[in-house]
Amino acid sequence: MKKKIVSMIATMALVATTFAGCGSGSASNADTAAADSSEDAATETASDGEEITLKLFSNLPDRKNGQGLVEQTIVDAYMAEHPNVTIEVETLDEEAYKTKFKAYSMDEMPDIVSIWGQPSFLDEVLDAGLLAELNTADYADYDFVEGSLDGFMKDGKLYGLPRNTDVAAFYYNQKIFEDNGWTVPETYDDLLALAKDMQAKGVTPLAMDGGDGWPLAVYLTDVLYKLTGSDYANIVTNALETGDFSDPAFTKAAQLLQDSAAAGLFQTGFDTQDYGTAQNLFTNGQAAMYYMGSWDASMALNQDIPEEVRTNIRMFTMPQIEGGATSATDITAWNGGGYAVAAGSENLDQAKDFLNYMYLPENLSKIGWENGVGMSAQDESDFMTGNETELQMQFVDAVGAATGLSGTTMNDRGTSAFKTAIETSIQNMSNGSMTVEDFLSNIASSIE
Amino acid sequence: MHTKAKSSAIKHGSPFSRAVIWILLIVVAIIQIFPLVWLLDFSLASSTEMFTNGLLIIPEKFRFDNYVKAFVDGNFLWYLKNSFLINVLAVVIVVLVSFMAAFAITRMHWKMSGLVKMILLMGMMIPIHATLLPNYKIYSTINMTDTMWSLLIPYVAFSMPQALFLMTGFLESIPKSLEEAAVIDGCGIFRVVFGIDMPMMKPSIATVSIMTFLNNWNEFMMASTYLSSDKWKTLPFSVLEFTGEYSSNYAAQFAVMALTAAPAVIVYIILNKQITKGVALGAVKG
Amino acid sequence: MKKMYSNKAVIAVLVGPGLLLFAFAVLAPIILSIYYGFTNSTGMGSYDFVGMKNYKELIHDEAFFISIRNSALLALGFICIQHPIAMVTAYILDRLGGRAEHFFRCVFFIPNVISVAVIAYLWKFIYNPDFGLLNNIIKFFGGEGKVNWLGQDIAIWSVLIVLIWHGFGWGMLIYYTGIKNIDPTLYEAASIDGAGSVQTFFGITLPLMKPVIQVNVTMALISALKQMETVYLLTNGGPGNATQFTANYLYQQAFRAFKYGYGNAIGVVFIILCVVLTVITNKVFEDRDLKEEKKLNKISMRKEAI
Repeated sequence: MKKKIVSMIATMALVATTFAGCGSGSASNADTAAADSSEDAATETASDGEEITLKLFSNLPDRKNGQGLVEQTIVDAYMAEHPNVTIEVETLDEEAYKTKFKAYSMDEMPDIVSIWGQPSFLDEVLDAGLLAELNTADYADYDFVEGSLDGFMKDGKLYGLPRNTDVAAFYYNQKIFEDNGWTVPETYDDLLALAKDMQAKGVTPLAMDGGDGWPLAVYLTDVLYKLTGSDYANIVTNALETGDFSDPAFTKAAQLLQDSAAAGLFQTGFDTQDYGTAQNLFTNGQAAMYYMGSWDASMALNQDIPEEVRTNIRMFTMPQIEGGATSATDITAWNGGGYAVAAGSENLDQAKDFLNYMYLPENLSKIGWENGVGMSAQDESDFMTGNETELQMQFVDAVGAATGLSGTTMNDRGTSAFKTAIETSIQNMSNGSMTVEDFLSNIASSIE
Repeated sequence: MHTKAKSSAIKHGSPFSRAVIWILLIVVAIIQIFPLVWLLDFSLASSTEMFTNGLLIIPEKFRFDNYVKAFVDGNFLWYLKNSFLINVLAVVIVVLVSFMAAFAITRMHWKMSGLVKMILLMGMMIPIHATLLPNYKIYSTINMTDTMWSLLIPYVAFSMPQALFLMTGFLESIPKSLEEAAVIDGCGIFRVVFGIDMPMMKPSIATVSIMTFLNNWNEFMMASTYLSSDKWKTLPFSVLEFTGEYSSNYAAQFAVMALTAAPAVIVYIILNKQITKGVALGAVKG
Repeated sequence: MKKMYSNKAVIAVLVGPGLLLFAFAVLAPIILSIYYGFTNSTGMGSYDFVGMKNYKELIHDEAFFISIRNSALLALGFICIQHPIAMVTAYILDRLGGRAEHFFRCVFFIPNVISVAVIAYLWKFIYNPDFGLLNNIIKFFGGEGKVNWLGQDIAIWSVLIVLIWHGFGWGMLIYYTGIKNIDPTLYEAASIDGAGSVQTFFGITLPLMKPVIQVNVTMALISALKQMETVYLLTNGGPGNATQFTANYLYQQAFRAFKYGYGNAIGVVFIILCVVLTVITNKVFEDRDLKEEKKLNKISMRKEAI
């Protein structure tokens, strides 16, 4: 409230006069723009014919494939069922989304937003009271996977719903593997040996989106989890509270990442290439493997990807690491992305209604499943059709057989300042321009 | 006359030095143009053909559908319209506001004129990006984000100082005699400003217009910060969005880049002489 | 007459819009920035005043100093690489005449009219180590072509190349105009004296171009400091902070790390830096101008004497 008043005072006088100076056109134009977007919204009682516009702000820019297509399908269906409701969708890809989300959070949030059920994203947002509380009882029949709502709760109150169960995975091109007689590595040493062999044959081993920082942090988590197993959460939480990253597991995990990069596991220039570039290396048959979350399982159905590659995508999870504390069926998985409703929405009830509609198991979960998008955070066993891609079934089996799940990745367990720090310096550390010690002390210093 | 004298050095120089000069010019030209040729070339190919080793390729099949995609899905015409409208308005306002201020500063008699001129020129030193954070706050407080004004106002404000600088310079060089004659004939002050002086300012108005247009046409940082819906999105911003939407389709990305670059390049080639003159005048004086 | 020209109301109407625009779009944000620079605001919710804490933090912020260093490198690159080439090209162009002159002038300037958004994405592809144009060129000439153009150590130079390439036409055009403004009789005199192209360039063109060079150098310094767009799209400051620039850094801090207060503090320092730099370069060149003028007078007097 305070900030609002201050900026009001700072600008009010100027504003009034500026508008006068620019001619009356400015004021009237702003008015009509506002009226366009929320015509008659002021009358709270929702009579049937009332025109309502909802704004959905999403991190899924590709509306023709995968998760974005699922979201758009549901939006279109909702609008068809509610002719008086218009849903305006604004999309940006992940990094740009988070930036703009923060900009929005300073003042007026769109009605429905993509969020992440992780401290690095949600803590400040909830502290500022930006998201509307949801009624837990509404979701009794929604079949949410146990524990998947935890990241979206604060003080026993629910503020958002998870979209996916995310699994960190090595996607690989089965055809390239078979043509060269390569097999899925069982240990980390196998993986590195495989990478050597691939390089010798002129194939890029693993496409990595290192330009964004967070996939590297997921990779680091993956390694760390394999090393520490069920202790993972405690070790990270403890380090984040004390600012002490001296646990040898951190050093070992970071060292392994650095050594792997130095051994040429990733493509040249992985530290600056973005999501699209890494994915395209793989989907165009240039790289044999690609490291990303399970949401990219929809690659198997993406018509823009050459058929020869598309139908040959398979996956495996992080191989066993020597001295590690886990079994092969312990996997790095978490409930990250989801949706929430803005507390300040002018059409709060309608927005919640849309959210609930979206999460009806036959919508987000089922449509997602049919479009080959990883796994939802809801029970999907009812939607099996027998037409699933092999890739999808691999993920289902991996989660079904899992003896342990890591939970939230390391970079997302701290504050957003910690997240920014680790995602920046992990680029330097993995390309070898920063030592592991400096890396650890660097991220430690971002904790106050 | 003198062109001949000057060019003699090149036309009549030794064959060797002539060759060196031509090679230099051609090399620079290739460096400047080749990336764009490359862009055009691959915008007509398929995405997989990107991954070849050749410098340029002859696509297996010319894929004009890349352009159809860019044109239709990229909402090209709509964004072009927005860009055009916002930039033309910005130019008109900049010319008007800075000319009026320039007149008051150079012609009218008042104590504060020096100070006001200095204040207005100070805008030239302020980095526009430093205002992104606070301006976002201001605009969202008064519900101005996602309107045309959130772009128009900063575009005008940050183009104004240079325009004012050019216009005061030019105005000082115009003799006052015509004005004086008009006043004696009984013209009011606004007739003098807009009827007598403004037409004489044509060359500097052209320069200011070109500079303002060039500076703002390609701006996207503010557009991507202040705008959210499609309503006012400008062409450069749409490139950012499109590349996200078509992250797995390189060819379509290339097509949208080529398409976005096209209007400015075409206009430049047509108005080459005028723009060169305008830029040169503005830059040397500014 | 005099009365009409000192009518306060008329003055207010004429200057008013400009002043209001300045106040609203330039002054107000600066004031707000100063205010938030003293707080620990995350950009939302409540916040506290923390005094000089943000500024103290900034002094120890390595990334901030990397941005300043990068700006200095960039300015150096503009002045030592772009400008000499631009000036020589402009000189040759001026002596070319006819259609060729127009053609090359047009071609050289074309990249300049294309949006940074397009340029940055295009160069991202050009630099791609696996299928980018540059490595393909190296392969074409028989090299291995595995250079990581945006890697840790050379990323800043690669960014520099893009900016030099993009801004080349602009720099060239300004020199070109400067050269066109040189009195042609000087060239004629030189050619009668039997001076060659190279001698003419160093003897006449270069000395007379000093004011233009000054303008260009000032602009290079300032645009190096203000750099944001290209870096934002090409590397976003990475890897790590290797290609970080001040404007990009303050944007990142405010909108990614939830440090809105800190971002504003960087903004304030950024503004001060820009203003100080502009004032200093102007002062330096002004003083020189006075001296130069005296020198030039002497030279021309001597010429007359001869």
